Amino acid sequence: MNSAISLENVRKTLGSREVLKGISFAVERGDIFGYLGPNGAGKTTTIRVILGLLELSSGTASILGLDVSQDEARRKVGFVLEADGLYDNMTAEENLEYYFRIYKVAQPEGKIEKVLDSVGLKDRAKDKAGTYSKGMRQRLALARAMAHNPEILVLDEPTAGVDPSGQMEIRQLLLNTVHKEGETIFLSSHNLDEVQRICNRIALIDRGEIKLYGELDKLQREMSQGEVIINTAEAIAESLLAELKSLSHLGLRERKERSLIFSPQEGVEVSDIISLLAGRGVKIEGAGKREASLEEMYSAILKEVEPQ
Amino acid sequence: MNGIGPVITTSIRNNLRSRTLLIVFIGLGVMLALAVALCISLLIIAPTVEENLPDMESDLELYLGSIMYCASLFGVGICINVFAASSMTREKSRGNIESLLATPLKVKGIWLAKSLAVFLPGLVLAEVLTAIALVAINYIYFVPEIGFLINPWIAISSFVMVPLMYFCISLLTHLIGLTGSPNTANAVVQVFLPLILALMMNLGLRETLDMTSWHFTLINLGIAAVIGIVVVLLYPRLTKERIVLSCRE
Repeated sequence: MNSAISLENVRKTLGSREVLKGISFAVERGDIFGYLGPNGAGKTTTIRVILGLLELSSGTASILGLDVSQDEARRKVGFVLEADGLYDNMTAEENLEYYFRIYKVAQPEGKIEKVLDSVGLKDRAKDKAGTYSKGMRQRLALARAMAHNPEILVLDEPTAGVDPSGQMEIRQLLLNTVHKEGETIFLSSHNLDEVQRICNRIALIDRGEIKLYGELDKLQREMSQGEVIINTAEAIAESLLAELKSLSHLGLRERKERSLIFSPQEGVEVSDIISLLAGRGVKIEGAGKREASLEEMYSAILKEVEPQ
Repeated sequence: MNGIGPVITTSIRNNLRSRTLLIVFIGLGVMLALAVALCISLLIIAPTVEENLPDMESDLELYLGSIMYCASLFGVGICINVFAASSMTREKSRGNIESLLATPLKVKGIWLAKSLAVFLPGLVLAEVLTAIALVAINYIYFVPEIGFLINPWIAISSFVMVPLMYFCISLLTHLIGLTGSPNTANAVVQVFLPLILALMMNLGLRETLDMTSWHFTLINLGIAAVIGIVVVLLYPRLTKERIVLSCRE
């Protein structure tokens, strides 16, 4: 079966600047794919390539097996771009109706109500989009993106400028969309917390190159380099800390008030550390392999490429 | 051109919802047409009718034709002057155009739809103003004395050729505005009305060009054709990429 979105060795040059330097990744069906990167990294250019708005300098880009330049490919995609593209002097209903007509969606009247209801804007259906808050506009833009029941949603920072409660609503809406409708979501975002919360796979782009790509859980485990975290019931005594530091095979790396983080040498298991601590009378509340946070991964990757 | 109907109707509705612009464009169009009609009627037509000269009919046809031609130019011209650049600037900056390009609509369909959305209200206004001028002048001055006057070549120029020229201007303006800066497009459209008006009225009223002959109609057609050729030459610039990249410039 074809991937939902597939980019292979895509290069894009704008003027004299190579914005995308041979990027490749695939978004599988049902994924919530997080696309991360600093400003100017090439995120928006990638989205424009996926939506067929920019021609490729080289490489291939496809949506459900169809070349992105085909009209049929765009019919399968709903989108929210950086500028929401809503018409301020039209009501929410009219904004949706417009796109229903463009996509030739049958029986739009019943559907408009249903779609607006799904984003919690049914009560404001008759209000002009120009009177909406940023959060409401983004929800309306999402409703418009979902209007024609696309198989893929491509979203460029859908929660940018939205207050925390609005962000939560949008996140929930996206999760519902994937779980109930089985859609695939390509989410470009600066919000690492958001990506960590809802995405199952990610790619990190910097200066036009993909620096990190894969399943988020797996990447987090890999990036943590086998670190172990032990949570204790009480603070660790200084004398015991000194002893633990002297045991180089444990690799005590960090001490917080009620937790210890180890980078043990190969062959040392979590159970070995637990036994040692229990033997010293430490009450252990929890233990496990530590996963790197997305923020740590992001900082580490971008730090690596900084000197270039 | 599949599916451009919604873009045309929605764009017209959006343009006409901008009340200030609507008042400006209808107000200006009507005022200018009325001013020209009054001036020519009171200063030229009325004295000519009173003189009751033998070769008066062709002169009166010329004066009536001048009013009709101006009414048509003002009707369609002012509408395009007011709406073309403003709607493009607004839609490009707010992402409306980029969003439309990401739908299955063809880029030339969007261009044509946007051009028609600005042109069609102007066409209606032009046809109405020209018809009013034709009927009103005839019934006020001519019908009681010499009967209903209408010169076919001036009528074709006013009712068909002026709208045709402006349809080509609308296509050109939108082509320039979509692929580049709406300000440049605005400059083109703003210059065209005074230029064509001054040129045609000077040629006609100074009798360098007989406005009542087919030459005048042909010259109007020629101007439309020249604009059309410029559109054809610039047409290869009309790509999604160029439009998208020009949206944030």
